[in-house]
Amino acid sequence: MQLRKKVRRGFLIATLTTTLTILGAGLLSACSNPANNGTGNSQQVGAERKTLTVAMELAYPPFETKDEAGNPAGLSVDLITEFANAYNYDVVIENTAWDGLIPSLQTELADCVISSMTITEERAEQVDFSDPYAVAQLALLVNSNSGISSIDDLNQEGRSIAVKTGSTGDVYATKNIPRATIVRLADESACVTEVVQGKVDAFTYDQLTIYRNQLNNPETTAAVFIPFQDPEHWGIAVHKGNSELLAELNEFITTSKTDGTFDVLTEKHLPSEKATFDELGFRWFFDFS
Amino acid sequence: MNPFKNIFGLFLAPKNKAVPLFKRALNYLLVCVLIIVVFWASLSVLSINFSFGFLNLYKTRILDGFILTVQLSLVSLIISLLLGTLVAVGQRSRILPIRYLCDVYVKIIRGTPLIVQIYLFFYIIGTAWGIKNRFIAGVLILSIFEAAYIAEIIRGSFLSLDKTQLEAANSLGFTRRQALRYVVLPQMIARTLPALTGQFANVIKDSSLLSIIAVIEMTQTMREISATTFQLFESYILLGALYLCLTLPITFVSRLFEERFNYAPKT
Repeated sequence: MQLRKKVRRGFLIATLTTTLTILGAGLLSACSNPANNGTGNSQQVGAERKTLTVAMELAYPPFETKDEAGNPAGLSVDLITEFANAYNYDVVIENTAWDGLIPSLQTELADCVISSMTITEERAEQVDFSDPYAVAQLALLVNSNSGISSIDDLNQEGRSIAVKTGSTGDVYATKNIPRATIVRLADESACVTEVVQGKVDAFTYDQLTIYRNQLNNPETTAAVFIPFQDPEHWGIAVHKGNSELLAELNEFITTSKTDGTFDVLTEKHLPSEKATFDELGFRWFFDFS
Repeated sequence: MNPFKNIFGLFLAPKNKAVPLFKRALNYLLVCVLIIVVFWASLSVLSINFSFGFLNLYKTRILDGFILTVQLSLVSLIISLLLGTLVAVGQRSRILPIRYLCDVYVKIIRGTPLIVQIYLFFYIIGTAWGIKNRFIAGVLILSIFEAAYIAEIIRGSFLSLDKTQLEAANSLGFTRRQALRYVVLPQMIARTLPALTGQFANVIKDSSLLSIIAVIEMTQTMREISATTFQLFESYILLGALYLCLTLPITFVSRLFEERFNYAPKT
């Protein structure tokens, strides 16, 4: 009997110890820097080089996307890499779903977010934004049979509009198209599919996305390219109060606007789009004049 | 007297014996405290401050989402029970095309993620056949998905019945129908009811994936709210709590059924 009890007590202690060890290990690994697991070039070159963890949603070509090998690529990637080279950082890119971008700054899993993110009042309450590095405007992708040619056509009972949850299109539609039903979806391709199939009448997103998807679906969709709102300014977001990084970013953006950096990036990533925008008389992304 | 013996005794119980109420409460409390401590410690590592105040603004929307989740799950459960039973019977059909159809159906549904089925069903089959209403499409997708699992539960418990019972019934002069009514069914109910009840909890959780086709159930409501307020953690913590409110009582009932029907002989 005595022995059995001892064995049982020993078993209990062993179980407790194991549990505590696992818990402790879990906590420790939660404390260690998660940036090390990221993709990109994170090798330490010199002691003075710091790591810059950048969160972006790699789902918006040609700004944020992946190359054939699956590595982060695109205009935003090039831009932030140039910044990092100029200011002695090693870039680690964390591919993060759109909903998780701002939270990743709040929890300091990332140092900054460059993800074609529009500067809005609501977002600015949660994070700090750099000076704008690009301007964009919303447009509508409408179903060919919907007969919609303006926002007023859409703002009627019985009409419906797809938006990407939490995008500026979502914010705009919620404020300005109250009579239509807003269908919030998780990604752009679902929104486009809904328009193509006529499940909704329209989808609102930035001009470039709308232009490209209209090209892909020439028979079923039409694009409404009337700039029906104030231009949206894209900024790089940092953790609230990180004024050091913010100052560096602003300095870099100011120089880039004048030294032709954006022209080079346009030539590399968006040559045909630039031509089309010029033809249609739209304001270009990096036109701050 | 060894004082440690008494203290340790509070945390120990022999197997196969009911635990006294006081001990049960104490140890459950201990576990809850442990979970909260770990969670709280993780939060303080990340230095996140919670404020749930904004939720008051969205009371009606959250309630609407909650109700829709319950409706979705209930209707889907009923349809999937009917469909699942049919499929389970079909899998034992003497007509081969029916048997193989049921078999392939179960294999495809159980072998693919729900998210794939939702997208393909809603945008291809749903569009082709004119199912425009998101609620109806959602119920159909969820029912078809859950029915495959229910069919497997029913098939599994049927297979676990001892063959000799049917032979005995036969030799006692029972007709096929009588054997089914008096021998098979009572045991099947006893064996499947706990698992089927547990499956209802799965239906509730699986219904959250319907948010991707903009069925504005509980998860979609929370996603929309967190997209405008950026209070991701608060929203998802509340969401988790709301799902627990639905699933915990079901788990409890399932356990009750398990105890209630425990008399069924094990094979």
